[in-house]
Order: sequence, then structure tokens, then C-alpha cells
Amino acid sequence: MRPFDYYRPETFEEAFRLLTLPDKRVMPLAGATDLIPMVRDEHWQPDVVVDVKGLPGMCDVVEMPEGLIVGAAVRMVELMHHPLVNSPRWNLLAQAAAAMGNEQVRNRATLGGNLCTASPAADSAPALLTLEAKAVIRGAAGERRVPITEFFLGPRKTALQKGELLIGVLIPAPPVGAVGTYVKLSRRKAGDLAIVGVAALAYPHDGGHVWCLALGAVAPTPIRASEAEAALNAGHDEATIEHATKCAFDACCPIDDIRASAEYRKAMVSRIARRAIEGVLAKLP
Amino acid sequence: MLHEMSLNINGETYPVVVKSHDTLVRVLREQLGLTGTKVGCGNGECGACTVLFDGAPVNSCMVLAVEAQGHRIETVEGLSQGGDLHPLQKAFVEHNAVQCGFCTSGMLMSAKALLERNSHPTEQEVREALVGNLCRCTGYIRIVDAVLDVAEAGS
Repeated sequence: MRPFDYYRPETFEEAFRLLTLPDKRVMPLAGATDLIPMVRDEHWQPDVVVDVKGLPGMCDVVEMPEGLIVGAAVRMVELMHHPLVNSPRWNLLAQAAAAMGNEQVRNRATLGGNLCTASPAADSAPALLTLEAKAVIRGAAGERRVPITEFFLGPRKTALQKGELLIGVLIPAPPVGAVGTYVKLSRRKAGDLAIVGVAALAYPHDGGHVWCLALGAVAPTPIRASEAEAALNAGHDEATIEHATKCAFDACCPIDDIRASAEYRKAMVSRIARRAIEGVLAKLP
Repeated sequence: MLHEMSLNINGETYPVVVKSHDTLVRVLREQLGLTGTKVGCGNGECGACTVLFDGAPVNSCMVLAVEAQGHRIETVEGLSQGGDLHPLQKAFVEHNAVQCGFCTSGMLMSAKALLERNSHPTEQEVREALVGNLCRCTGYIRIVDAVLDVAEAGS
């Protein structure tokens, strides 16, 4: 593996100094489950890696008035079992964490790493899109919050500027009565990346329901399927569900890769969206 | 960049000097001679390099050695005590759960972690705990039977 230098700062000041070292390629390190294979295969060539796990708050889950703050270095296994994340309000994220990788990977991989790698197939992304989360970003100049829909700019591209760190995610509590489901299609039932991932969330409103639907692995970034949502907001009889799955089909623009052809992905988006919608309907009171 | 530190492996302290980019499995195998842990895919798919990190299974090919400082590492070499095989190792022998043996140390470590958090797993729970460990020989049945046997014997 190409050599790099490793630092584990305990203050943000030191982290930002390291992240902006002149003439060095510097990368943050959290769970390392993406970084090590990527460096070994020479896709990434950092001179310096900055372990963010020792920074204040990075490994914490805290409930605030505006929602749940999940530190960027919180691991997938912790999301699965944390009493706040795995509660009726936010368990869609716990479901997504459980769908990711295998036990060995979930014991290391972090939420921040899953987001910053910015794979269109990131399992945590569709859940955070439907929960309308915000990325909490900190740099030497201060903190800013970016809606998760604006965080992903393309495959492996995010809104992070040089010298900035994703320090966590703010997830507002969804309205009372919200229920969500994440459905993932992959080549095997576990331990693989998504061919298609769909998160669906609905909550009671004004005698009906408001729906949120997000699709992973079928576009350059994870996306919201807003036309499918609008269709479902009007009702969820069979014809409407069928129409909503067609809207999801129309919303995606997948690629061919080693896991599936674009054609297969498009065909499966409708099926998986239907399973997610039916999963939510089964949970609605 | 070099790091002078110590690693806690199977309850013993090993002073080591590691490079920043050394993976944990590389240090285990090439510096400390603990070659029971194998290297397969290097991508977190096969689980041959599984060790326990503070009791939880991780792929040691995807952990930097420097990250393991201050944590408790367990490898397959730590399973037998005083020359006696661990119950899981005995069950793997009795059930012929080993063919080529390349996956075995990782399987044993994942199974150990499972039984420590759930002493009476169902067959489904055993299979789920071993999702991250690939075996190309046995078809898994004998491995699952061996783990279930230990779980029942402990009841």
C-alpha cells in the first residue's frame, strides 16, 4: 500500500491545521472500510490521513430541540442498536444501517464515511433523504448546515470544501405517527452493495398521508422521487400505487455496472418501490 | 511515519513499531508471526482476516494497526487454552467443518463473538452471524452445525 502519514487530532483546531497542510493530499479517516481498499488499489493517494474519531462529539448521538444529532463517526452497528435511533421516530436509519455490508463492516463503518464516500448506493442516504436530514459541516471559518439533498453532487462528489469536515447529521423528528421502510435489492441478501435501495416514509396529515420516497443506486446521486410522492399524497389505492411506481421508474437514470445492467435496475426500481410503499402501508394504523 | 506503541493481543502486550499505512493483519502476520489470521479479498467481503476488536468481529485487513492501540485484539491463536482446543475448535474438528481451512480462523472468531453475546442462537442467527465469512468448500452446513453444537452443549 502506498505510504501515508497518520494523525489523530483531539481538537478541531489541530484537525483543520492538518486538513489544510500546504502541498499535501489530506484525507479524513473514520471507519477506514472505504479508505484502505481505495488506497491499496491506488484510486486515492493521500499523503496524510486524519483520523477524526478522537474529535469532540464525533462518536455521540444527542437529542436536541431541532432533532437528533448523529456524530459523523458513529458506527453502523451503533445506529442499529442505539435507543434513540432505533426508536419509532428514527428507526428508518437503523433499518438502513442494518442493511449495510456485513457485521465486520458495520462494526467499523461510520455514518459520516458512508455519506462522504458519496456512493449513489450508500444505504444510509435514502433514509436520510426521506427524513429530511441536514449535513452538519465544520471548517476553520465555522459551521454550516446543508440539506442532505444538496450534499451529494455526483458519484463520489459532495458539497464539502477543502479543509471542511462533515461532523454529523441533524435529523429532525418526523411528525407523530410517521412510519418508514427501507427495502434493498442486492445480489445476495446481505454483505453486498445495493442494486436498488428505496426508503419510504409516510405520516398522517389532514385526514390523509404525506409520503416521502427516496431512491438509491439508480442515479448519479441518491434522489427523492417527488412525483411519486405527489401521487401517493392523493391516496393509495392500487391504481395510484401503480402510478407512483411508474413515477419512480421515470425518476431514475441508472448505469450498467458489475452488479446489474441499467435496464435491470430500471425494471427493479418499480418493484422495490412497490415493496417499500406496501411495507409502509402495512405499518400505518 | 513510524508509531512506537503497544498492541494488546490475546491478553498479552506486544511492543511494536508500525508504519502509518500498515494494516492490522499485516502487523499480526508479518511482524508478530501470528499467521493464523488469513488475508483473502482485502475488501471486507470474505472475512478470512476476522479478528475480535474489543470483542466485536472486524476485518483486520481494513483496520490500520495504529488504530488498534489501546484496544483489545483477539486472534485465533488465543482460542486454545493450556494446550486444550476451544469448544468451537473441537466442534469444527468433530463436524469436519474444515476443508481447505482458509476461512476457518475467521469463522471461529465470528462464531466466538456470536456465542458471547447470544449463548443460544437459532440456526438463522448463526447463519446471519457468519454472513461476512465466505467458505468456498463446505457449503456451510457443517460449520453451522458445529456452532449450534457448542451453543447446545453450553446450555
